[in-house]
Amino acid sequence: MSIEESLSPREAFERLDPLLTTAGSEYQIEGDTLTYSKENPAAQDKLATFTSGTLSVANEGRQTRLNYDVGSTALLLCLLAPLLFLGFAQLAIIANTFHEPEAAEEAAEEEEEEPAELHWLDAMLGAPEPEQAGEEDEEEKDEEEAHSPTAAYVLAGIFAALFVVGRILEPWLLRRTLRKALAGTLELPTTQIKNDAEANASIAPHIGGTGER
Amino acid sequence: MSGTRVGNRIIGADAPVTVGWENIGRVEGGPIKQFVFTYFQPFFLFSFIAFWYYAPNSIAVASTAFAMALAFRILLLGLEWVNPRYDSWRLTWKEFATDLFYVGLGYTILRMVDVYIGDGVIIEFVQTSFDWESFSWFTAMPLLVQALAISMIFDFGQYWMHRGMHNWYPLWLTHAPHHYITQLNINKGAVGNPVELFLIGLGVGGFFDFLPRAFLIAGAIGVTVGIYQHINVRFNTPAWWRFIFNTTEHHSVHHSQDYEATRSNYSATWIIWDRIFGTCVDGEAEVLGMEGGRRMDIRETMHFPFTEGYKSTKAWLGQKLKPQLASDQHREPAE
Repeated sequence: MSIEESLSPREAFERLDPLLTTAGSEYQIEGDTLTYSKENPAAQDKLATFTSGTLSVANEGRQTRLNYDVGSTALLLCLLAPLLFLGFAQLAIIANTFHEPEAAEEAAEEEEEEPAELHWLDAMLGAPEPEQAGEEDEEEKDEEEAHSPTAAYVLAGIFAALFVVGRILEPWLLRRTLRKALAGTLELPTTQIKNDAEANASIAPHIGGTGER
Repeated sequence: MSGTRVGNRIIGADAPVTVGWENIGRVEGGPIKQFVFTYFQPFFLFSFIAFWYYAPNSIAVASTAFAMALAFRILLLGLEWVNPRYDSWRLTWKEFATDLFYVGLGYTILRMVDVYIGDGVIIEFVQTSFDWESFSWFTAMPLLVQALAISMIFDFGQYWMHRGMHNWYPLWLTHAPHHYITQLNINKGAVGNPVELFLIGLGVGGFFDFLPRAFLIAGAIGVTVGIYQHINVRFNTPAWWRFIFNTTEHHSVHHSQDYEATRSNYSATWIIWDRIFGTCVDGEAEVLGMEGGRRMDIRETMHFPFTEGYKSTKAWLGQKLKPQLASDQHREPAE
């Protein structure tokens, strides 16, 4: 990524400083290379998704080139999340094998209760009468009786889709953020700046030294 | 920070909290936007109630309720994007993915566990242990009365469970991770340790017999009122609504960084319970969380109640045994 302005590595890193001095952040500079890491950054931290990485600056005439190599635990976990939910689905299927006989027994024993009558006010207002005994939807009954793996399958699918979205969206946002920071046009929410300052002061004792550069 | 006196308490002495409806923000924009964000909440509440009141039996089933709740949640996610209450609470990809993980736990593994040790089992035990026939007249009441009774009884139980969590250390250990959220979004209600999510889901409404349709209407009240606890949308909520129902403003006070403010607004749906029991604070807060706004990650959320419980117990035992050990050391050796 490059911008149309000639910056020395020191000047470039100074402009990136607001992104790297938030709560839980640490970084070190060696020549034209900056290495950073973030320990559980705040929700609104602009680099919340990419919690570690290396940034190097190269001055190319009138341009400044920023090379970055970043890592994301969040994206990795999102990639793995479908496996967890597929595991839950399998667990539901296994649990059903133990649960089914009991459920069938209960269903057989279930007494057909007389349905309650609708209050005259509701009848007058046109509310439908309660279901008669034995009228219940069989499908609904089945759902009640067993663990359904459907939700787990759906969630596995959602997390797979969410990974694809994140894999495209987050690098794009990162590039935009870094470009704005280097150009000096990045605006951080006032509350975040305030939060970070307060958090740096107040959470340091709790998280053992993070928040220091 | 001086804070504001509310009853016998000083609210906002530790961290900023806005107290009083006259001081909170309003929807900014043209007349159409003002109209939409003023009547959105009542419109959907009454629409949902009317739907469940008149829906034919073939439609009035749990799967329809699930689909409607999901669609409504997606609509509210859209509103968070269009009209956020605070920019500092904007939903990011990472926050959404994290929240969804907790939602996912609720719909999968927790639901499975709930079958064996949840409120269904407790209710069955209580129902078989006592004669509840004397309460069968509940089903003869008008549907809306039944629905209100279910909703209010359930919320009454939640109020005391939640208040208990803020006042009894073992329960607090399970609830504390939820208070590490630093912004409110539509799925943040699911964020927390699974033990807490299980406890807060225990309801007492199910002890009594009601018509199934009344349960669906009560559920609709929960979906169209309780859901606003954790939402980043600015509404011009009507005064009558704010008086009887919980709102995101109330709940943001509960989640603020001010200790005294967190000990208020415990109900999930009916803020009227807080008014009755003297724990209601009308207002709002933007800066949320614990330990100065430290975000708690998923791993810590999962083990926090157990590791903190272990540390606290160890420290407590240490305190208890210390004088004993000290006195033993000073004792003269036996001859």
